[in-house]
Amino acid sequence: MRASDYIEHAWTNLWKKKLRTALTTGGVVIGIGSLICMFAFGQGIQRNIKDRFTELELFNYINVSPRSGGGARSARLRRHAQSQPAGDPNEPIAVLDDDLLEELMRIEGIEAAYPEMRFPAQIRLGTREQFTLVQVVTSKACGSAMVQLRAGRAYASDDANEVMVSDSLLRRLDIRTAEGAVGREIEIRTVVLDFSLQSLARMAFGRGDQRLPVSNRVYSFTIAGVLERMGFGGPLPIRSDVFVPPGAAAGMRKLVLTGVSDLFQSPEETAGYSAVTVKVASTRQVMSVKASLEERGLRTFALMDQLDEMQKGFIIMDMFLLAIGMIGIAVASLGIVNTMVMSILERYREIGVMKAVGATDGDVQKIFLFESGMIGLLGGVFGLALAWAVSFVINQVVNGFAAREGVPFIQYFSFPWWLCLGGIGFSILVSLLAGIYPTRRAARVDPVVALRHD
Amino acid sequence: MDADGFIQIEELTKVYSSGPVEVVALRDATVSIGRGRFVGVTGTSGSGKSTLMNLLGGLDTPSSGRIRVDGRWISELSKTDLALFRRHTIGMIFQSFNLIPSYSALENVAFPLLFADVPRKERVRRAAELLCAVGLEGRSDHRPSELSGGEQQRVAVARALVNRPTILLADEPTGNLDSRTSRQIVQMLYDLRAEQGLTIVMISHEEALLREFADELVRLQDGTVLSQETLRGRP
Ligand SMILES: Nc1ncnc2c1ncn2[C@@H]1O[C@H](COP(=O)(O)OP(=O)(O)OP(=O)(O)O)[C@@H](O)[C@H]1O
Ligand SMILES: [Mg+2]
Repeated sequence: MRASDYIEHAWTNLWKKKLRTALTTGGVVIGIGSLICMFAFGQGIQRNIKDRFTELELFNYINVSPRSGGGARSARLRRHAQSQPAGDPNEPIAVLDDDLLEELMRIEGIEAAYPEMRFPAQIRLGTREQFTLVQVVTSKACGSAMVQLRAGRAYASDDANEVMVSDSLLRRLDIRTAEGAVGREIEIRTVVLDFSLQSLARMAFGRGDQRLPVSNRVYSFTIAGVLERMGFGGPLPIRSDVFVPPGAAAGMRKLVLTGVSDLFQSPEETAGYSAVTVKVASTRQVMSVKASLEERGLRTFALMDQLDEMQKGFIIMDMFLLAIGMIGIAVASLGIVNTMVMSILERYREIGVMKAVGATDGDVQKIFLFESGMIGLLGGVFGLALAWAVSFVINQVVNGFAAREGVPFIQYFSFPWWLCLGGIGFSILVSLLAGIYPTRRAARVDPVVALRHD
Repeated sequence: MDADGFIQIEELTKVYSSGPVEVVALRDATVSIGRGRFVGVTGTSGSGKSTLMNLLGGLDTPSSGRIRVDGRWISELSKTDLALFRRHTIGMIFQSFNLIPSYSALENVAFPLLFADVPRKERVRRAAELLCAVGLEGRSDHRPSELSGGEQQRVAVARALVNRPTILLADEPTGNLDSRTSRQIVQMLYDLRAEQGLTIVMISHEEALLREFADELVRLQDGTVLSQETLRGRP
């Protein structure tokens, strides 16, 4: 028998029992559909993370902080207060100041170094208010690939009296379109200072309570641009809803720190950053740059370090999804076994005829295996279609909800070609495996018994 | 007995054992059949007629004894070779027709060609040709349920002949038919034998019918060959 004959014959027989074929195939469709859906979800998440990270060059960033526990300023504060520095006194404690930034820029492979400064503030736009974190970001960084502009532009310079806001903040402020926000006035009311600094100062000098470092000064800015909020955390260089340029922030900060900063008026004090983000030109240089940063007594954190862990996590996630998906497959296989056994019982006499007219046991087994495999093929194809349809609906619904929170549209599912082909192939494979027992029974039918008249 | 018979059945014994009970369906049967002969087999119910035919057709294997067909000892063939033997050498028809109910007459006739690797077009052509030969042109799209018993048996004959076998085995082909239709069917077999050069072995209860058409008559009783009688000489 030729392969085309087997296929045609299988199709003809399945078509003759439309309802049963449809029901059995339906089981496979659901099983394979949910399995593909699971995998597509896993793939979607992985692709989202990896693509986004790569697109934003997140693997190119290293987060740098001073090695001592409490950050540069507290370390410095302790030194200022003549208290013992934490840890080994001989260990070099690097200070994250502008001088160090200059020095870092000279390290082979480092493209840029941005200080990281954030402070909490009350934001007002029109009549609505929101409490959020304001981050100081250089205009250079704002113009880079790190920032996804939705409307407007990056602020003109580091000294401009302009800010950039995230689209999610706008949504929380009831502004519907990003374009509508550009050019509007926004108020930033600084609320609170660095509490650790305050408390340490109080501990060190015992008179902090006299001059509470609380300011309610209000600053007005113009919104220069709206950017897309990034969906993921981690050591991102940018993770705030409001960006202000360093020049403008310097002025603010001075006032913010009024009261306590008077105590540490030396210029180096104000220059110490809690953390610095370093951008490496190529991901291949990340490890060597990390090493030279650590030589300088800095603590580093790079997303690259997490890549292996991430990959392991992805594999575990895939296995988990696979395990859930296999439940459906198991149920579907039983359906196939049942259908094939039924079909063979019904066609008992037909099997006798096949053998009487010269079919070998192998021919008979193959005839039924092709039917089984055909159910698998149909189940795989429609299962893929089902998975696609379900994922489309889920995507729309979830993104619909997420859009209200200002989260940008994300494709939660990914259907790479190998998943589509693999899903269909797996469906056929499972169906063939499910068909082994019934088709062997068919092959062993004794034609003499099958053909004996009533 | 003709030692050079086209079909040579030697001391054929078939024992069925269902649990502790042993049934000897055929005991030391020896029959020789010449090429192109029409042989009738008769006997009471349970005398082993169907058993003999199934062994001859390669559907079953003997407990002892052997069968030679056209120089080949088919009782020594493997399972697969037996299937090929059935495919190319044997055509079978049965009392209950054994047509596939969901297939049209044409599809039923073409069915054996599927296993013989015959291309689709050729399958259809040959099946139509044989339907014509059994007088069923115009009924090719009908299901077995839409045909009379006689017509169904004609379809079965066409199916048995589609692979151009040299031997036609018929197990009570007229058992489900009235006497007029029975005669027509046997007459048709008789005519086809001459046209296609077939050797026919036909089982029947109706001795009169066999006496009218057959060249030889084999009588079975309790699994043994009672007699082999020549009714007509070689043509
Ligand atoms: N598979 C089997 N298992 C056990 N006994 C069997 C089997 N097949 C046939 N027999 C027995 O073998 C004997 C011969 O059976 P067979 O079918 O050859 O008879 P028959 O001459 O064709 O009868 P009928 O005219 O009723 O068709 C019977 O007694 C039957 O019961
Ligand atoms: Mg019988």
